[in-house]
Amino acid sequence: MIERVRALIPARKGAAPIVPEKSVAGRTLLLLITIMSFLSAVTLGGVVLVQKSAIAWSADVGREVTIQIRPVEGEVMDSNLRTAVSLAQSTPGVASARAITVEESQALLEPWLGAGLDLTAIEIPRLVVVQLADPADADIAGLERNLGAIKGASLDTHAAWRQQLNTMAGTIVVSGLLVLILIGAATVLAIVFATRGAMATNREIVDVLHYIGASNKFIAGEFQGRFLSIGLQGGLLGTVAAVLFFTLIGTAAGGMLSSEAGAQVGVLFGRFALGLAGIIGIAAVVPVIAALTAITSRVTVRRFLAETS
Amino acid sequence: MIEFSNVGLRYGNGPEILRDLSFSVEPGSFHFLTGPSGAGKTSLLRLLLLSLKPSRGTVTMFGEDVSNLSQDRLLQMRRHIGIVFQEFRLLDHLTTFENVALPLRVLGQPESEYRPNVTELLEWVGLGERMNALPSLLSGGEKQRAAIARAVIARPKVLLADEPTGNVDPDLSSRLVHLFAELNRTLGMTIILATHELPLLDKFNYPRMLLQKGELTIHD
Repeated sequence: MIERVRALIPARKGAAPIVPEKSVAGRTLLLLITIMSFLSAVTLGGVVLVQKSAIAWSADVGREVTIQIRPVEGEVMDSNLRTAVSLAQSTPGVASARAITVEESQALLEPWLGAGLDLTAIEIPRLVVVQLADPADADIAGLERNLGAIKGASLDTHAAWRQQLNTMAGTIVVSGLLVLILIGAATVLAIVFATRGAMATNREIVDVLHYIGASNKFIAGEFQGRFLSIGLQGGLLGTVAAVLFFTLIGTAAGGMLSSEAGAQVGVLFGRFALGLAGIIGIAAVVPVIAALTAITSRVTVRRFLAETS
Repeated sequence: MIEFSNVGLRYGNGPEILRDLSFSVEPGSFHFLTGPSGAGKTSLLRLLLLSLKPSRGTVTMFGEDVSNLSQDRLLQMRRHIGIVFQEFRLLDHLTTFENVALPLRVLGQPESEYRPNVTELLEWVGLGERMNALPSLLSGGEKQRAAIARAVIARPKVLLADEPTGNVDPDLSSRLVHLFAELNRTLGMTIILATHELPLLDKFNYPRMLLQKGELTIHD
């Protein structure tokens, strides 16, 4: 399979390579670099998806605050609700304010308390949902101050929840970057071993090149050329596989979105659309992996030659 | 061109392989280097190739003391020295043409520039028809002629040959030495050819450097 795909990649023209292609553990290394590139691209894509979703969640939640009014003896709930709505509507930066009806409250509590419950028999706190036009300019502190006039009223800005969400998203992003670093380190180690193996296998070629006056720089360049080619091919194959993976997942999620479970997935992860930044990030895996491969092999060869000469 | 003065060589803490070698080689000369197996011929050739440094004494090549040269200068000097091995040491995955062109490729010459020279040289050594053959398809004599062509393509000032006739029959040995003689005569190349084949030494009237038990005597 890999050989078929490799055949599609244009081969280098001109004189035959001094380091024979088959003498570098090409197929195994190509497979390894393909897997590493795929993992890097999937990790990067995952990080981008999580970050995008977290930003979207945070923005959605940030555009809304909730006023909660607890039942207090001697207070009229409906009157307090109207006052709260009125106070909210008169606050700068507020787009709209609406009291949640008893029926809506009942629907919200249904998953916990069961269906068919008559809430008129129990006194429950009531909510006012306040939509902000611009969270940055809204006078939340002023609203909170004014609500002090209503007994039992409190304002929930969801700050703690947003903080937790940002912390979670940040943790996932940092973990993703850590995984990327580990993948990079594993790739470097694999290339070091492969290069040293290739040098040992091609010792005769290295000796002949030395005898005919080749510099260490020239010899390192020949090996680097082989590894750069493998790195480019592996990077390309792994990245294409990752893009296919995200396309498949996106299509599958899109199919599921019609169902209720799919909608939940959609709410959590969006539509698996990486966006331009995600696609650029994934595409950058190819040159990064190729450069990593070429530089690692060059440094390894130079060290090997310095040790043996 | 080459001058050795009280040169000694030992590997690590072992005994001296070469002792008190003092001789000079004039430009354009041809010398046989001979002696029994284990006498140190290959070690002397490696000193001449600048791939070993003497344990003591002074080696002067092309007018420079080589003991304190930088890696870059050593590399430049090595490019003036061609080497032919007994076991040919051609790269199996390259064609005859590519093997012979290798020193020019290493020097950074483009193929369009070196192709006519390589082709001409291959025709001169009788391999014009075998340019595109891989070494595995060449006979012993053809391989050695390709190795000689590779050693001289960059026009070195000195050509060293380590038992170049060791893997070919006597008739071909003689023809190969004729080829070295021709290179010496036409290009003025300084040649030191190591061999322990006495019939060859008798057939060609060149000075002999005789190595015995690490000591060298020259017989003109």
